[in-house]
Amino acid sequence: MTGASQASPRRSRIELTVVAIIAVILIVVLPVLNAQGAISNFTLGLWGKYLCYALLAISVDLLWGYTGLLSLGQALFFTLGGYMHGMYLMRMIGELGQYKKPIPDFLVFLGWERLPAFWEPFSSFSFAVVMVFLVPGLLAYVFGYLAFRSRIKGVYFSILTQALTYAASIMFFRNNLLMGGNNGFTDFKFILGHSLAEPATMRGLYIATAIAVVLAFLFCRWLSRTKFGLVQQAIRDGENRVLFSGYATMHFKLFVFVVAALIAAVGGALYTPQVGIINPGEMQADKSLEAVVWVAVGGRGTLLGPILGAVSINALKSWATRAYPDLWLVILGGLFVLVVLFLPGGLVSIPARLKALWGKVRRSPEKPAAAASDTQPASAKT
Amino acid sequence: MLPAFMPPDPMMNFLARCLRPLACLAVIAGALAAPAEPARQILVRAALSDDAAQQRELITSLTGRADAALVALLEAWRTDALFRYAPAEGTALVVQLTGPKDDEGRQAAVRIDTGAALVDAAGQPLKLAAGDLKAVEHTTSLRRAMKAVADLADLADPDPARRFKAVQTIGQAQDAAKLAPLQARLEVETDAGVRRVLREAIALVQLKDPQDATRIAALGTLKELHTLASTDFIKRALKEAEEARNQPVLTAAREALRAVENHRSFVDFFGTLFRGVSLGSILLVAALGLAITFGLMRVINMAHGEMIAVGAYTTYLVQNVFGTGITLPFFGLSLGLPGLDLTGGAYQTYFLFALPCSFLAAALVGIGLERSVIRFLYRRPLESLLATWGVSLVLQQAFRLMFGANNVQVSSPVYLSGNWTVNDIIFGWNRVFVVGFAILIVFGMWLVLTKTPLGLLIRASMQNRTMASCMGVRTERVNMLTFGLGSGLAGLAGAFLSQIGNVGPSLGQGYIIDSFMVVVVGGVGSIGGTILSAFGIGGIDQVLQQYLPVVAPGLGWVPGIGGFLQNLAQDAAVFGKILVLAGIILFLQWRPAGLFVTRSRSLED
Repeated sequence: MTGASQASPRRSRIELTVVAIIAVILIVVLPVLNAQGAISNFTLGLWGKYLCYALLAISVDLLWGYTGLLSLGQALFFTLGGYMHGMYLMRMIGELGQYKKPIPDFLVFLGWERLPAFWEPFSSFSFAVVMVFLVPGLLAYVFGYLAFRSRIKGVYFSILTQALTYAASIMFFRNNLLMGGNNGFTDFKFILGHSLAEPATMRGLYIATAIAVVLAFLFCRWLSRTKFGLVQQAIRDGENRVLFSGYATMHFKLFVFVVAALIAAVGGALYTPQVGIINPGEMQADKSLEAVVWVAVGGRGTLLGPILGAVSINALKSWATRAYPDLWLVILGGLFVLVVLFLPGGLVSIPARLKALWGKVRRSPEKPAAAASDTQPASAKT
Repeated sequence: MLPAFMPPDPMMNFLARCLRPLACLAVIAGALAAPAEPARQILVRAALSDDAAQQRELITSLTGRADAALVALLEAWRTDALFRYAPAEGTALVVQLTGPKDDEGRQAAVRIDTGAALVDAAGQPLKLAAGDLKAVEHTTSLRRAMKAVADLADLADPDPARRFKAVQTIGQAQDAAKLAPLQARLEVETDAGVRRVLREAIALVQLKDPQDATRIAALGTLKELHTLASTDFIKRALKEAEEARNQPVLTAAREALRAVENHRSFVDFFGTLFRGVSLGSILLVAALGLAITFGLMRVINMAHGEMIAVGAYTTYLVQNVFGTGITLPFFGLSLGLPGLDLTGGAYQTYFLFALPCSFLAAALVGIGLERSVIRFLYRRPLESLLATWGVSLVLQQAFRLMFGANNVQVSSPVYLSGNWTVNDIIFGWNRVFVVGFAILIVFGMWLVLTKTPLGLLIRASMQNRTMASCMGVRTERVNMLTFGLGSGLAGLAGAFLSQIGNVGPSLGQGYIIDSFMVVVVGGVGSIGGTILSAFGIGGIDQVLQQYLPVVAPGLGWVPGIGGFLQNLAQDAAVFGKILVLAGIILFLQWRPAGLFVTRSRSLED
């Protein structure tokens, strides 16, 4: 899977062309078709949601696929980004809420007369944008610093990130946090003066999301080809060797952890206005694990895998939760077990596997089933 | 002291005299305590009387004749449900209407004097409509007299618990008129608990006494008793004394208050200690299985919580089999379990049978999981985390499909649902039991691991799989059995947790993170560390829950987020939990491998 960084220029050019075509389809073609009426607003909204999840999946892959850190807390950073943007959107409701008061409804419900001090600055969009980056980034920095400093790695890191997410979610479920409690934020009306009921606004948000996904993809592609990226992948494959070669792995891991948190946070910030609600249910531990499923199914340690996985699993979910609501969790859980056991390379490894199979069929002795094992990421060690 | 403000009441003296034999009777003869017939007739006489004073006197004469039925009749009178009925010939009667109304709004009538149905001359039941009858009237003073009778009726109740409650109510009302009956009762009362609360009630009533000496004596009694319930009353007395600048009373009140507060912090301390120990035991029981699967085998079993749920649901099934049976939908099929239709004591023993069943059920599920998924993933811990999480989703959904999305009802057997109150500290039996049980399974596990051939094989395989295998140990089989043991312990935990919390499809989710924390903090692979960390985490959690609300108001000084912290700290349970998790992260800075490190020469371990 490290093939991408060592691939020939020709292969790289083909890859970039494919990416460019997909990017054009996502950024230009879909919105134009929507404006023409060929794609319903609902469908475009669904795609917007899938792409937000794709950002979350990219952040998981950057950590897990490229650095060997299985973080079960990415949904927390995603949701925090969503909440920070949601605070701005809540302020923009103005006096159009149920209670016709200048403060958000849930605060009126809790008996507040005035806005709590920490809510004040969120009337400004630019402040909210800064907070979208600052809050998850800072949390990731502090937690990452503590975790990596004491060399917590492998499953211990996973369990601790899960505990962090759990602690945050029980906190956000409380009304006393003044962040909407159980119901979170919803009923948004405006963003930057545009009504969220307008299809044009939603289209704009969709385009922004698609651009963000492409940018995140290009960033990760660039990063994985720099020296930094190589060290990062070396950490995944044998951290102690990297450490003994004189690299302070902690700083590398910390940087990646913060960057991944920021990517997830952007996904969350774009998610909130498009889906129209953000609540603590989004940051529960199983949401993080779900994001890990997308990456595993798509193919971890690849760049397209997480995007493919996020979109396909969520499309499957949209379909299955309507067709077989009772069985969705069984499908998801079963899929997970099957992928882990039988398809460790994920969906993107299928072509290579088929090719290997084809090679076997043609009985070409010089090409044994090397391609298949090549696509398997070296598993991170405990 | 008593007669100072209250004229000697012949009625009260009478009451005091008749209460004594009555109380003895009550204790001996239970429900037969009060001669019901005459009491009913007195009531009827009162109801038919036109003289308000006589009515009051008659009602008051009923005082102390403990009879729930009589109290119910008084209540009926008070709520206009007693009617005066004048038949064509003969004397007027008092009746109560019962049963369903027919088309003309008529109901069957019951004669109050005999308690029998009202019949006409031919012996046929007579039906009357409420609208045609006149309700028996009542004045405010009469209602007060009735209330007094009703309140004091409980004083002579054969059940000590009800007497206790009645006395408490009277004491807290601080009604001086009740002083005499209370004192009379104290003389005949034999139950120690009721005696204590009687003394408290008398002292509370006396706090209202105008004479300083009486009040000081009452405060002295309260100081000696230092019951928590008297706090507010002592505080009020203290305030009154302060306003009146009454130094002697003030001193006495302060002393009494100090005694009560001391007692309160004593109770709080030991209550917290006990709750901490019991929470620690719960965590320990939940984490022990994980200490084996994760600690010894290094398998990250995210379905551990679901193993707990399997145990809890097995308990539910066993309970139903002991009861009326149950039918479960099983993926399209219907799975019927016949019931044994047991009742009483035999039914109550279901829990003892549920324990081994839970162990076996969870162990079987665990072995199935090990054979089908985990054995392929021993070298890939992160993947085993993901795969077992997938399994946990499937299992959760399976519970939902089989048992419904809502919590199921697991009834506690009687021997687990009571509590002891020692010195105001409440020891719930289920909590005491879980502490005992935790000790028992730790001991059992120690025996299995150190004294049995299986334990020897387990330890050998876990310490050095290759070497054990070379020596002829069938490590595959040992893996399977070890995982089964760990899962079975989780199932056993589930049987217990079903007595403490709700049993639902997401039961396991509530324990999985805590269990992992306990094992990580204790040091992976160290059972002793698991025990220590379970009690440590449980204790700290309870201490935070107890004292955060005390500390919270003082957090206002923190710049910027002071108000926010104050606000948050009110949710002591949640905030305490968050602090514990934060504390664990910081603790791992100090000891990255947990409390007890299992030494290894391997670099990657």
